[in-house]
Amino acid sequence: MLVTWRYRERKSLIQSFDPRAWIIFFACFLASTLFFWDLRYLLFFTAIALLTVFTSGVTWQESRRAWLFITGFILFFAFFTFLTGRGGVELYRVEHIIAQYAAPFTILGWRPTLWITAERIMFSASMILRVFSIASMTILIPYSLNPALYGVTFRKLGMPDKIAYGMDLTMRFIPTFGRDFSLTMDAQKARGYEIEKLSGGLFEQVRKLAPLIVPVTIHAIMGSEDIIDAMDLRAFGIGPRTWLQELHYRQRDIALITFGMIMVLTSAALSLFTYRLWIPEFLLALAQ
Amino acid sequence: MNIPLALEIENLTFRYRSRTEPAIKNISLSVAQGQLILIAGASGCGKTTLARCINGLIPRSYKGELSGRILLQGQDIAGLPLARISQLVGTVLQDPERQILGTRVLYEVAFGLENLGLPRDEILHRVEEALDYLNISHLRDRETFNLSGGEKQKVALAGVLAMNPSILLLDEPLASLDPASAQEALELIRRLSDEGMTVLMVEHRVEDVLKIHPDRVLFMMDGEIRYDGDPDGLTKAVDYREVKLPAKMIIQRAAAYPPPPLLQALPDVILSAEEEPLVRFEDVSFGYEEGQRVLDKINLDIRRGDVIAVLGPNGAGKTTLVKHAIGLLKPKSGRVLVQGRDTRHLSVAEVANTLGYVFQSPSHMLFAPTVHDELAFGPKNLGHKLEDIEKQVAEAVEIVHLNGMEQDPPLALSFGQQKRVSIAAILAMRSRILVMDEPTAGQDYKNYMDFMTSIVQMQGFQAILFITHDVDLAVIYANRVLLVNQGRLVADGKPEEVLSNFERLTANRLVPTSLLQANLEYLPRAGHFLSAEALAHLPPP
Repeated sequence: MLVTWRYRERKSLIQSFDPRAWIIFFACFLASTLFFWDLRYLLFFTAIALLTVFTSGVTWQESRRAWLFITGFILFFAFFTFLTGRGGVELYRVEHIIAQYAAPFTILGWRPTLWITAERIMFSASMILRVFSIASMTILIPYSLNPALYGVTFRKLGMPDKIAYGMDLTMRFIPTFGRDFSLTMDAQKARGYEIEKLSGGLFEQVRKLAPLIVPVTIHAIMGSEDIIDAMDLRAFGIGPRTWLQELHYRQRDIALITFGMIMVLTSAALSLFTYRLWIPEFLLALAQ
Repeated sequence: MNIPLALEIENLTFRYRSRTEPAIKNISLSVAQGQLILIAGASGCGKTTLARCINGLIPRSYKGELSGRILLQGQDIAGLPLARISQLVGTVLQDPERQILGTRVLYEVAFGLENLGLPRDEILHRVEEALDYLNISHLRDRETFNLSGGEKQKVALAGVLAMNPSILLLDEPLASLDPASAQEALELIRRLSDEGMTVLMVEHRVEDVLKIHPDRVLFMMDGEIRYDGDPDGLTKAVDYREVKLPAKMIIQRAAAYPPPPLLQALPDVILSAEEEPLVRFEDVSFGYEEGQRVLDKINLDIRRGDVIAVLGPNGAGKTTLVKHAIGLLKPKSGRVLVQGRDTRHLSVAEVANTLGYVFQSPSHMLFAPTVHDELAFGPKNLGHKLEDIEKQVAEAVEIVHLNGMEQDPPLALSFGQQKRVSIAAILAMRSRILVMDEPTAGQDYKNYMDFMTSIVQMQGFQAILFITHDVDLAVIYANRVLLVNQGRLVADGKPEEVLSNFERLTANRLVPTSLLQANLEYLPRAGHFLSAEALAHLPPP
């Protein structure tokens, strides 16, 4: 099956809160993390992220692919910035060189050289923590928030009815879209089409995907006409609508939102003094 | 005090903005409260346009030139907003899959009431009432995506009824239902009408609808109402080849015309005894998940000369069975042999040399810029030589009568022509067995009868297998019927053997049709099943 729902009810910290409270807290967490490059502060956010992950009830088995993707992504970028030294230049002006390795060859007169500096090491480490904290909190959302409540959650957070209902509608039609896709896939396979054998350059490969993309798109467009008719015929969008699902804030939700707010305000205040890299003494000592 | 008419239409004409000709012309119509009206006619006759005018989608969502007047409960709807009209006319669209908007039944039924901004308590009360009325309260918390076709139809209907309309407009409500579900839906519609609801039903399956005795029938053609009167008069006023009438009536009427040509299925096949089967199922079992049995120990041979109809209710395992034959699924136990080779060791592409599968909707497979490219796609994938491909494409075009359209884009063709392109795409691959899933879906009676008559007589195939809900297709075109239910092969034999056991048919959610009954009466003389037109020329039993 192409479409599988990640969400299920779990005994977890996230699910013990109202989804709106969690979304607000998540936004505060996101903003707060982005205020810092100082590893010591970032450790605090990583700790919150780890606490959330370990109390989420999401098993390694069900989330393995997401974690492997994120880990690969983070490590690739951290390593890339470490190699090139790009990305951190606005945070430091001077670099303390610990070691340097020059390549035994030149390219058009330029000799590639790897500079290992205290600043680059710390920049990469900080970046890993920042991205890891944000990514792991984000990964957990589809596993933990009930898709049936997306619409009402965002409506109650102040979005207009039409946009909020659009979220519910997306959730409703993802499985339909998935089924259309597998039908088309089967229909083309039965005509000897083998997606595994795609070859050629990027454009060539996209062109060879046409037997899948064209029918699925055409079907989606044809279907959307019916969907719009069905909505119009049942008075959608004529005025403020009632949402049958109800959400209620409890004390713990208020507490979480308050904590989030304090966190973001404190972070904003602190960042006035600490928006820069922290280089531990021992690294500087190594450079001398 | 005068009770206003439920619906009054005066001189209604509408032309879509993108067309030059009007889709409906000078329609005038008065409908009294509580009438049950069938609106019949071939594809493109204007029935859907008329329905869109009544429910207000024209001119609000579909733009064009509109003249004439529509009154609902005595009120001219020209100035009314769609929200107001939707409380007077409830519409159930053809495909409930696209009409259902909520992820769960409760929210789906509540959708319209939520949009009207009613208080939450009232919404819940009206939802419960609608579910209870249709006897589907047990579905309340189910996910809509996982409902069966019949359940989806009822949920869509509940969503409309919850808005308390006085007129119900149903656009081909039987299209996606198996015979037993269709019969249940019809009984429900009759009950609604008996309790005072005005019902307008657009439907191809005239014979089925006549069973619930509509008060009145409209027959449309070329955008005009050609017949408006009681059901008895319809059978005299319309061509029996265009509308599916009960078999007895066709037999009476067709006797006055020359007999139809004899059906010669699979003209290329010369049968010889003791030949290896084209496909063999040996104890095939399958489940999508551990412990599930979608197919249960199926044993089956498909031989040259077979025209097989696969019958059975929704979810019986028919499509799963066929997907095993074409190698899209591999058995969990047992084996499927295609020309003696186990499908476990064959790719789908290799199986395609023997079996060509035409899916229900051509729009699931058509993609190429021209008909020629569409037909060449399969043989190219199978590695045929370029000069052979040109020859195969030309032959396929010839057989399905698409000459002159080779350079046309398939997606711009009519539905019937697209269906022919999808068959030609299989023909061009030189597959020996044609496999079709619901070959008549989306076509009107005349179109699908012409289509089936030409397909089974087409050159190039050695066997044909089709999945259908329509018992009459099996009666007329098949020489073998497979009855599938709950993953088991319940019956396998000649149509005369399998379909004569009514008890077994009913147990498998099939409904004996008037054509089947007539055929059983004529069987001692005919020796095998025939179309109603052919029966008309036999001496009466």
